[in-house]
Amino acid sequence: MPDPRPLWRQAFDSAEKFVGPKLESVVRTDEFARVTALSFQAQAALTRRLNGVTAKLWHLVNLPAGTDVLRLRAQVGALDREVRRLTLRLEQEQQAHRVEERTDDAPDQPDGRPGPHPPRGGTQRAADS
Amino acid sequence: MAVLDRIRHEVERNALRTRNGIRLATGTERVGVGQTPKDVVWRAGRCELWHYRNPNVTVSPPLLIVFSLVSRSYILDLTPGNSFVERLLAAGFDVYLLDWGVPDERDAQNRLEDYVDGYIPTAIERVRELSGADEVNLLGYCFGGVLTLLHAAHHPESPLRSLTVMATPVDFRHMGPLGEVFTTGGLEIDSVLDENGNLPPRIILQGFRALTPIAEVTRYVNLWEKLWSDQYVAAYQAMTSWSTDHIPFPGAAARETVDMLLRDNGMINDRLSVGGDPVHLADVTLPFLSVLAARDHIVPEAAASPLIDLVGSVDKHELRLDAGHIGLVVGRTAAKTTVPKIIEFLLTRSEVAR
Repeated sequence: MPDPRPLWRQAFDSAEKFVGPKLESVVRTDEFARVTALSFQAQAALTRRLNGVTAKLWHLVNLPAGTDVLRLRAQVGALDREVRRLTLRLEQEQQAHRVEERTDDAPDQPDGRPGPHPPRGGTQRAADS
Repeated sequence: MAVLDRIRHEVERNALRTRNGIRLATGTERVGVGQTPKDVVWRAGRCELWHYRNPNVTVSPPLLIVFSLVSRSYILDLTPGNSFVERLLAAGFDVYLLDWGVPDERDAQNRLEDYVDGYIPTAIERVRELSGADEVNLLGYCFGGVLTLLHAAHHPESPLRSLTVMATPVDFRHMGPLGEVFTTGGLEIDSVLDENGNLPPRIILQGFRALTPIAEVTRYVNLWEKLWSDQYVAAYQAMTSWSTDHIPFPGAAARETVDMLLRDNGMINDRLSVGGDPVHLADVTLPFLSVLAARDHIVPEAAASPLIDLVGSVDKHELRLDAGHIGLVVGRTAAKTTVPKIIEFLLTRSEVAR
C-alpha cells in the first residue's frame, strides 16, 4: 500500500526519527545539565553585578534603587502571607465551629448515626471565565 | 483526470490554509476555554474555589479538584465537548476546583505547607459547608497530586472519602532535564528566581521544551499539514495556548520542591516534611487511585509508577493508560478511557441517587 503522507512529510518524519532521539540523549547528559546550570548562574551573577553598580549610583544621589524597592516588596509580600495564614487559621476555626454546631443540631437517624446535614448556601459570585 | 482532481484538491486546501493561517496569525478567532458555568465560592489571596453549576447532582460526596501550581487550570475545562469537568458534571458529580490564580510577589514566601495545611483543608471545609456533605472526594492533577498526597499524609483525619491523583510524580530522578539542572547541574533556585521572588514561567517552559527538543518544530510541521482543517486549528490553538501559558511558581515552594522532592527524592526515600512535621506517604490509608500515562514526557511513567507501592491504603488501584500528559484529560483517549475509568472509581466510592 502506498504511503498516504506527502513526500515532504515523509522526508521530515525520517529526519525527525534520526535527529530527535540524538537531541533527546544530548539534553539528558550530565554535561548538558552542568552547562545549563552554569549559564543560569552566570546570568544571575551578571544581573547582581549590574544591580549593585546601579544601586550605588542611585544611593550616591540619595535615592532608592530598584533593589531597595524589590526588598520592600518582598517584605510586604511576607507580611501579606502572614496575614493570609492567620486569616486561613481563623477561617478553619470558624468552619470547625459551624460544622460542630451543625452536627449538634441535626436530628439523629433511627440507627443512632448523626442525621444528614442540610446544604448551606454561601455567597456565590459568578466567576470570570 | 486524477491529476486535475489532485490539483483542485490542493488548491482548495491551500486556500483554507491561507484563511486559517491569517486567522491564527492575527488572532481574530480565539478559542473560548474554561467555559463551563461556575461560581467563585471562596477566595484567599490569589487562590479561588470554583463551584461548577450542575442542576442534576446525583452523586455524593462532592468532588474537589486540586490543580497544579505551575500551569492554568482551564486544561480541565478546555472547550465545550472536550472538557474533563463537563464529563464529571454529566455523570452527576458536584464538582469544585481549587485554582491557585497567578502568583505575584505576595506569594513568593508561600511554602508547601501554605497549600497543604492552609488552602486545601480550608477549601475542603468550605465544600463540606456548601454541600452539606460530611466527606469529600479529592482529586489532584499533576503537582496538585503532590499537594493532595502531602495533605492526606499530614492530615489522616481529613474528611476525605477517597483520593485520586493524576500524572503525579514521586520519583523525581526521572523528571528529565528540568530536574537534572538542579540535581546534577547543582543550580541553586535563587539563581533563577525573578524580581518577584518566584520561579518565572519562561524557565518552566524552557524546562518542558528541553524534554522534547524537536517537538516545537514538529508542532509547526503538523500545523502546516493540517492547517486547512478548522477543527484541527481550533484544537491546536487551545492546546498551544495552554502548553505555553504557565504561571510563576512561588519561590519558597519551588525551593522546597528542589530540596525535598528533587535532591532528597523525599517521596521515594521517605524524607518528607510539611511545616516542620515529618510526613509519610504510608499514612495515606484512604481509598486511592493513581492514574498515569505511559507516553507522558512531562511526568514519565517511571516517575509516577512507584506511587502505588508508597501509599498505605488497602483499597488502592493504579490506572496506566496509553496516553500523554495532556491526553489524560483532553481528547479521544480521555473521553473513551481515562474519564470513564475515573468516574467508575469515584462512583464505587460514592452514593448515587437513582
